[in-house]
Amino acid sequence: VLLQLERAPGPLRPQIETALRAHGEPLRWAITAVDPTADGPSLLQIEAVVCSPGFD
Amino acid sequence: MDERAPLPTLLLIPTGIGCDVGGYAGDALPSARLLAAASGCLITHPNVMNGAALYWSDPRIQYVEGSSLDRFAAGELLLRPVRRQRLGLLLDAGIEPELRQRHLQVADGCRATLGLDIGPVVTTEVPLDVSLSLGASGISWGQLGQPQALLQAGQQLKAAGATAIAVVARFPDDPDSAALAAYRQGSGVDALAGAEAVISHLLSRELGLPCAHAPALSPLPLDPDLDPRAAGEELGYTFLPCVLVGLSRAPDLLPVGSDLALVTPGTSTIAIDAVGAVIAPAGALGGAAVLACAERGIPVIAVDNPCLLDVGAEALGLEVLRAGNYAEAAGLVLALREGLAPAALGRPLPSLREIA
Repeated sequence: VLLQLERAPGPLRPQIETALRAHGEPLRWAITAVDPTADGPSLLQIEAVVCSPGFD
Repeated sequence: MDERAPLPTLLLIPTGIGCDVGGYAGDALPSARLLAAASGCLITHPNVMNGAALYWSDPRIQYVEGSSLDRFAAGELLLRPVRRQRLGLLLDAGIEPELRQRHLQVADGCRATLGLDIGPVVTTEVPLDVSLSLGASGISWGQLGQPQALLQAGQQLKAAGATAIAVVARFPDDPDSAALAAYRQGSGVDALAGAEAVISHLLSRELGLPCAHAPALSPLPLDPDLDPRAAGEELGYTFLPCVLVGLSRAPDLLPVGSDLALVTPGTSTIAIDAVGAVIAPAGALGGAAVLACAERGIPVIAVDNPCLLDVGAEALGLEVLRAGNYAEAAGLVLALREGLAPAALGRPLPSLREIA
């Protein structure tokens, strides 16, 4: 999974894990790039492997 | 507190991101040994410790697979050091008979020569079908075609009494690839690492046991220009010895709040609250464990260890202690263990300011 996520105030980890859960259960992830925007929040690039929905 | 008391310290060098130190065959092990001496208790993961045929066992080092480390850092798991684990050996049905025999002989060798408690052995019902890939950033990832077969075999081992699991999966051979040539000559990413992490993460998360992985591959032709950092992987037929040794003393993983986590007399556990520092490459601070530690106010030591990523303290808004190498990081850990303010060691030393 490759995600672009706009950073919101507060701790990063819960934001990322919530965004990844839309794709499945996160197994391994990392922020692999941070792009600062001119005046807004920075944009995070997340790479992850998730367990597909329905896998148990 | 007695300054001789250990300062539990996390050392993280993510796998498959091409780190200058720790991106090859257990080539961060000398740094880990130094940090274990400085801290008295180092908690780290297989990528740091695994040198294929080479390994080092140190009672001050706790060997914890990456997803369990993430859960430990998030306060979901406690670690309980043990004298030994009973190792189940999980073999991929996709391994050819001769290569399989080589792995069984490694396990027998570790029983006979090192005294490890190994067995039972289980083979998956179908080949695991591992595939490798690179992410958008160039770091290595991988997929598992038959995750249920992995979990079924792991559950069989657990039911048969295994308390930790070593997995050997058949990985695709690609002896002529440019990426492998670059890795062997010390300038590439470990293409296998991402898939290895996925296998051990999945199994450890589902079974709650220490797990680690060794890939099964055909031997490579001799490379006279082999980088010393990759040499550990070319000394034998398998990468399994380091995994068996690491797991043989890996700590138990106890879910916080479970009956298992109740401390019984004569045992002790390590909780994230006891951790005094986390050490990670300065450009790879965007992983779950580092962020969880930073949220808790645990000092983050960011080490100059070039890699493919550039996700540093400034980009993430983290306050860190900077170290130029792992020897310098060990000095910072020692300062923290002694109760010294690290800022007192640098110059210039700014004057105190009164809060307005």
